[in-house]
Parts: sequence; C-alpha cells; structure tokens
Amino acid sequence: MTAVDTNLTTPPPRLPVRDRAAARQRAWGGVSPILGRLAAERATGALVREHGSLYLAEGRVVHAESPAVPGLDVLLTARGTLDADGWRDAVGVAAGRNRVGRFLVESGRIGVGALEVCHLGALYDAAYFALAPSGSPGHFRYGDTHWLGPVRPVPVAAVEHETLRRRALLHRIWPDPAPDSAPLLRSDSPGAPAISARQQAVLDLVDGVRTAADIALALARPTFHTLVDVRRLAAAGVVAPAPAPPPPLLPPGPPGPSGSSAPPAPPGTLPPAFADPNITLLKRLRDALEAL
Amino acid sequence: MPGIDECLLEAMRLPGARGAALVDWTSGLALGTVGDSPGGDPETMAAEAAELARLAAEHRAFAPEGDDGESGPGGAGGTAAGWGQEPPVEDLIISNRDSYHVLRFVTTSFDSSVFLHLWLARAEGNLALARIRLGEMAGRLVLG
Repeated sequence: MTAVDTNLTTPPPRLPVRDRAAARQRAWGGVSPILGRLAAERATGALVREHGSLYLAEGRVVHAESPAVPGLDVLLTARGTLDADGWRDAVGVAAGRNRVGRFLVESGRIGVGALEVCHLGALYDAAYFALAPSGSPGHFRYGDTHWLGPVRPVPVAAVEHETLRRRALLHRIWPDPAPDSAPLLRSDSPGAPAISARQQAVLDLVDGVRTAADIALALARPTFHTLVDVRRLAAAGVVAPAPAPPPPLLPPGPPGPSGSSAPPAPPGTLPPAFADPNITLLKRLRDALEAL
Repeated sequence: MPGIDECLLEAMRLPGARGAALVDWTSGLALGTVGDSPGGDPETMAAEAAELARLAAEHRAFAPEGDDGESGPGGAGGTAAGWGQEPPVEDLIISNRDSYHVLRFVTTSFDSSVFLHLWLARAEGNLALARIRLGEMAGRLVLG
C-alpha cells in the first residue's frame, strides 16, 4: 500500500497556482490597481497620482489632468478655436456648477463635435501620464468633481487599455524612453530620412533646453503625440536626449571605496557622454551598415 | 451641430455602410466606432487604418502641387507655418473584392490628427456619394 499507485484518484497536492482570470483582472493593466475597483463600485471622485489626476463620475472617466500635457484651455485657445476671453467667461459662469463644457456648447462658442474631439484627445493624453508608473501610491478623493463637467465619459477599462497600448506603441517606435523626459538636442545623422511637417515643427523647437512636454505646450499639441514624433526622430538619429546634468561628477565623498552613504554611483567614474553605451554603439553600427 | 456619435450614425445611413469610426492617426485610437469592423476587431482596424493615414499625410508625394506640406490655414491668431495643420491629403480610398474603405481627413482649428473611416459593402455602396457625404460630415463634425 505504500507503493506509488498511479491509478489512485488522489493526485498529489497541486502546487499553488494563481487563478489566471483573477490574476489577469488584478493585474489588468498593472496600471492602477484601485481603478478597476472604483469602476466596479461606480465611484465618483478624483484619483490623484504622482503624474496627474483622473476624474471619475459614476465609475466612468470624465476628465484627466497632468502637468506634463497642455490642458484643454491651451489646446482650444492657442489657435483661436476659442478666444481667451470666451474661455474665461465660460469658466467664470459655469465652473461653479461643473458645467463649463456644456456651457461652451450651449452658448455657441464651440460645436459638440469639436469639443468632443479635442477633449477626448486631452483626456487620453493626460491619462497616459497620470497612469504612468510612479514611486508613490495614488489616492482617491471621493466626491471630487471637475469644473469642466462631463463631455464624453469613457469607460475606465478603455482608458487603461489605451494607456498600455500607447506604451507599447512608443516602445515599438524606439525602445529607449530617455527622450520622453530629458531636454532634447539635435544630433547630426548622415542620411536622415525625410522629416514630416509635424515632425519638423517639433524639431524646430528642439534647442537643448526644452523637453518633449515643453515642445507640446509650445505647439498646443497633445504631449503623447509629440512623444510619438520625438521617438521617431530619435530612431532616425535626428534628436537625442541631452546628457544628464553632471552634478554627480564629483561626489562629495572621496573617490575611494564607493561603499559609503553615497547613492549607487556608477562603477568607476564614467563620463556622462558614455551613459548609454549600448544605444550609441548600436547607432554607430547602424550608420556604418547603412553606409556600406 | 453633431457630436461624434451622431456623425458616425449619419455615415451609417449611407447605402452599403458596414461600419464607421473616428480615428486618431497619431495614436491609432478610435475616438468612436459604430457598426461592424473587419474581423470584428475595431481596435486593430483603427490602428491599421491609422498607420495608412499617417503615411498618406506625411509623404509629400501625395501633396497637391505647390504645397510644401509645411503650412496650413491655422486658426485665427495661430502661427500656421510649420504646424502642418491641414493634412495635404483629403481622403484615401481602398477597394477590395467585396468592400470599399474611405478614409476622410478631418481638419480642425486646434491641433489634431483625426480622420473618418467608412467601411462600405461594394455591392450596395456608392463610392462617389460616400466620398462626398463623408467630406460634408467631416466639415460639420468640427464646425465652430
């Protein structure tokens, strides 16, 4: 009886395996764990995270904001879709009732379609940054509403899904995220491909100081759309992130054993120009191959 | 003035219309969809149509004579030069054995990159009519 009898119906205890469906739901996105719960409970309020906020009304996303993106006011006033006075009036009259969006339409300042297109663009743009991985947990302020009011609410799952899709899209264009947040520099690349008009507008503002977000604001263009062009330009070798500023060049401690309280300094004293040896090497390799 | 959904529903009233969507060609996001999509997958349809639209909008070979692709009308008070406000292409037409796809670029007074996409059954659809109507809808959608 002690022998192993493979015919017995009691199999060995199963190894603990995560319930796939539940795991998928939990990890849905890996974007923000509480978002799914808030949607399920049809919550109203603001999810405040490190890089931006998401406003929910009855479990649907009605607005998003992020310091990294031009707001709806910038997008609409920069080229005269609305004049600045018209926007201010609308905010003054209707912000208290959280109906600025509806007021803009009802007072004939903008058409429903134009507002929906512009607002959806701004919403997904801000959500992309608001839902970016962050170092600190977000929190939800129940009951908070946004003065814009609902324009075209979007399901939470759609916003999460789109945010992940956008991350993958950028990664496919150029896998290095460094140009997303660093000041940008032009870099000469022999045989650069033709640059589209929209990319040229971005390139014209690259000055070694502005980041992609600065350029987006100057162009009154969604920041994600600017990132798409920036990554394309980076892939073409036309734009590169400026090397990180050199404060840690001379660490306060003696350059002896690097085991003190200093943050994990790179081994040795690597000059910042070689901060990305792989990328640099790959680009040189590519240029050399193309020159053959 | 119609919103996105009204606009798409109007497109669906065209003879032979199978599906319609408003798509952003930079991100590949469908801002709205109505009806069917090839393979029942509106997301893939939007992403692939967006890729095609982007190529058409960016390649200067398809721009009208004398258009360097760098200037657009711009809104009042906007600096037009270099912003590529208005895509040089009006629409794209794809035909296959059983259907047409018409992609109509939408010009807005703010910065955007959207187009209307109409999927049309070839047997019932009237391509010329669809093209004209879609142009009108694109104009009405973002009026004001």
